[in-house]
Amino acid sequence: MQIITKNWDKIDPFRIEDYIQAGGYASLRKSIREMDREDVILQIKESGLRGRGGAGFPTGEKWEYSAKTNSDAKYMICNLDESEPGVYKDRIIAEKNPHQIIEGLLIGAYAIGAKKAYIYLNGHYREAAEILKIALDQARDKEFVGKGIMGSAVDVDVEIFQGAGAYICGEETALINTIEGKRGEPKLKPPFPPVCGLFGKPTIVNNAETLANVAYIIKRSAKTFSQIGPNSSPGTKLFLLEGAVKNKGVVEAPLGTTAEELIFNSLYGGGMVSGKEFWFAQIGGASGRLMPRGKLDQTLTYGNCEYPIGAGSILVVDKMADIKDFLYSWAGFFHRESCGKCVPCREGTFRLWEIAKRMKNNDLREKDRENIKDILWTLSNTTFCPLGNFAATAWSDAVKMFEKEIFPNTNKTNNDTN
Amino acid sequence: MQIKINNKSYPADEGETILSVCKRNGIRIPTLCAHPDLLPSEGVCRMCLVETNQSKGLVPSCAQKVCEGLEVQTETENVNRARKINLELLWADHAGKCASCKRNGRCELQNLAQIFDIEAFKFTPRRKELKSRDELDLLKDNWSHVAVDEKNSCISRDSEYCIECRRCIRVCRDIQTVEAYGFNYRSSRTNVGTPHEIPLDCIFCGQCSAVCPTAAITEKDETAKFEKALADPGKMVIVQTAPSVRFTFSEEFGEKPGTFWEGKLVASLKELGCDKVFDTVLGADLTIIEEANELIRRVKKGGKLPMFTSCCPSWVLYVEKYYPEFIPNLSTCKSPQQMLAPLIKTYYANKEKINPENIVSVSIMPCTSKKYEAERKEMKASGCQDVDIVLTIRELARLVRKNKINPSKLKDKKFDPALGISTGAGVIFGASGGVMEAALRTAVETISGAELAKLDFEVVRGEEGIRCAEIEIENMKLRVAVAHEIRNAKKILEDLKAGKVHYDFIEVMACPNGCIGGGGQPVPTSPAIRKARIESVMSRDRGMPLRKSHENPLVKKIYKEFLGKPGGEKAEEMLHTKYINRKKK
Repeated sequence: MQIITKNWDKIDPFRIEDYIQAGGYASLRKSIREMDREDVILQIKESGLRGRGGAGFPTGEKWEYSAKTNSDAKYMICNLDESEPGVYKDRIIAEKNPHQIIEGLLIGAYAIGAKKAYIYLNGHYREAAEILKIALDQARDKEFVGKGIMGSAVDVDVEIFQGAGAYICGEETALINTIEGKRGEPKLKPPFPPVCGLFGKPTIVNNAETLANVAYIIKRSAKTFSQIGPNSSPGTKLFLLEGAVKNKGVVEAPLGTTAEELIFNSLYGGGMVSGKEFWFAQIGGASGRLMPRGKLDQTLTYGNCEYPIGAGSILVVDKMADIKDFLYSWAGFFHRESCGKCVPCREGTFRLWEIAKRMKNNDLREKDRENIKDILWTLSNTTFCPLGNFAATAWSDAVKMFEKEIFPNTNKTNNDTN
Repeated sequence: MQIKINNKSYPADEGETILSVCKRNGIRIPTLCAHPDLLPSEGVCRMCLVETNQSKGLVPSCAQKVCEGLEVQTETENVNRARKINLELLWADHAGKCASCKRNGRCELQNLAQIFDIEAFKFTPRRKELKSRDELDLLKDNWSHVAVDEKNSCISRDSEYCIECRRCIRVCRDIQTVEAYGFNYRSSRTNVGTPHEIPLDCIFCGQCSAVCPTAAITEKDETAKFEKALADPGKMVIVQTAPSVRFTFSEEFGEKPGTFWEGKLVASLKELGCDKVFDTVLGADLTIIEEANELIRRVKKGGKLPMFTSCCPSWVLYVEKYYPEFIPNLSTCKSPQQMLAPLIKTYYANKEKINPENIVSVSIMPCTSKKYEAERKEMKASGCQDVDIVLTIRELARLVRKNKINPSKLKDKKFDPALGISTGAGVIFGASGGVMEAALRTAVETISGAELAKLDFEVVRGEEGIRCAEIEIENMKLRVAVAHEIRNAKKILEDLKAGKVHYDFIEVMACPNGCIGGGGQPVPTSPAIRKARIESVMSRDRGMPLRKSHENPLVKKIYKEFLGKPGGEKAEEMLHTKYINRKKK
């Protein structure tokens, strides 16, 4: 089943004609010429499409909030700020088929009534920026972007806004702050962006992969889309297979596929690299949970599930690896990327990183065990935005699953002090 | 509506936060970033978390609004765990130099650390204070960026003490619109500072130091200079105290807001060893005579209108830096401090045959900006710097405590009469609207020549940011406006520029509610505290025998003996000043 990856490597991302020939921009034409704004939103709602950035919020519902809010200006934003280690699916979409994102963005803008749309791009994505810029210019030439789209009365201008590469700016309120020229840090919610977002106006922020699904839904109908995968979260998802798995890279699979299939099925991962033995998998990126062997049969969906897919990365770890290296890397990442706004995240991620450094040097102190517990608790429960929780997810699992590896000398230290 | 807190029912208003309901009902919730002047709260300190029946996890009570059917728990195991861990994390990031700290005993972080019993460092402290070798090794990449800024004469900053609560950022941005501060750097290196860490270049109102929960931003300390002068037998230390000081000095010694302590203030200063204690209110009376005179002159002779008051040095600096086109509108009158000071070194010194070089002129002010004003190059009417040392109320109180003086035990003393007779008109300078009211009392009587039946101009009093009125004098209508906080003044300036409003006379005070909310006032401050202070000011005015500046016998005497006519040559030399365009190109 291919929605996103269907035309990859078949069309030239620098040629809009290729995309049009493959049926591109037909959905935009259909939306504007044949459908009311309400119809478009209804289609997206009925398709059951959920946000692919990680939270899995129903996209149609989100659009509806903005569409129903009266305002002189509205904004549509494509979130392409992905900066989690091991997650690069949005970049690949932008590089392989940029118009798929642009078309979804335009349909969204039409549906909610936004005259201005942004593509918020991670500052490190230089190549994707070039490709998107060229694609936008071509779309503008063909009258898909700008004033009077395809001869209609619909105006949507699209601007590429390149961030500075901060992880927190993938959080929608922080992202909005930076477009407004403010510091990249989250804002208090409510008000939620669909009602009061960019410059105080209704704003929809959608992940790039989410938007890449939109044209398909409009073209093939909500029903077709909703029949792929499980009812509660239909559609396909890009998964990123990494680590000790044979076929690394991006694969597209229906939601509801199990981790086991993704890793071991020859369609996808094709099993472990020879000579390596599966230890655990991290589902969803650096902020994801650790899945042990026994849980591999869990299906991966959005909504209530034990192992959230997040952005879709699956890091396969074999038994040769040292958990301490991972803990150090995770702690370092979240320490660097904390925006510094709230106390538990600013100080907690720092302390966790400090402890991780000691752990790497096999220099853990007795009080560290208690401190780790406290820091992970406060990160999980008291931070301003989810970044704090993310920082604690993998650590919390690791501390539970690999206590012996992490605290090998604790007993000895106890004896020493006695 | 009714909400339940800890299983008891309380009334609550729509749109109110949980914290506000709790505070009103005496339910204690620790907070560090929330401040009653800075609403809505940002919820960054995560100390005020509570549990409710409306959400799964902990919610910040300072930001969470009440709703029908809400049940709140403020003392659960999770709530207390959150408070304790987050406080420990903050404490380890703090200087921890309590014994030598300016805010010792008045620090919000220290208070919480005591309540929650934080003594031993669980984490390695990150700021300077590190003693053991073991910990020094750890500090290698455990550094925390420390910014120190002592390059102005009013405000000291030392981010070693900073807990990144953002109150200073918000008061400067939201109330004063100056935006001197922001967050620099990210993650654990996050630091409050100026853009590119340039030395502080603002209007020095000191509101940041008044809302700072710790000693990260404080008044520039000049107590050592003052102590040195007191100890020098060759120097005569002459002190003047601002109108509002007598109403708030008491708060530093645990009295409730609004406690009037004029006699104890004078007695404390005498106890410290000051030779003479004079009253800045006399300077205020002079200001009124000159300012009312200037206003009448401008109105009658077609001078630049509207005329702005110029008693507030932060306001003057704001006009000079941001709206220099309005400099001609500023009254040329000096502030009360700068009117009284040259008289001390000339009129008084001559009379008493003292060499002015041996006088150390000290003023006790509710204001950090007065330190800057005293240093302005124009302020040399007496031939030398008119004011030598400016102390805020907080500094004075520190010194009093240091010398083990307990003002409440002292017998009241009076101001020294040579420059110590004052009126109610000068006293109300301390509250927003006071200068306006005092000026009107004099201006109306001067123009009409008849005695005012009612002295209280209630229309210019109150707590609204901008208050306007039309005062009828004879056949003339005087359109006046009173503003406090720079955000309101800025609105008036913009409206004037756009031609939307027309006034003759405008009073502006940079701080909330005027000087009684000044940047050098005792901490904490809140609308309720300032209200109590204002009530005290107004009741003092009502009780005074003299309530009009032009009826002050001492003022009349000084004009007769020394200054000549209001607006005359000598008065011009001593009591008026000029302004400089300081706008950045």
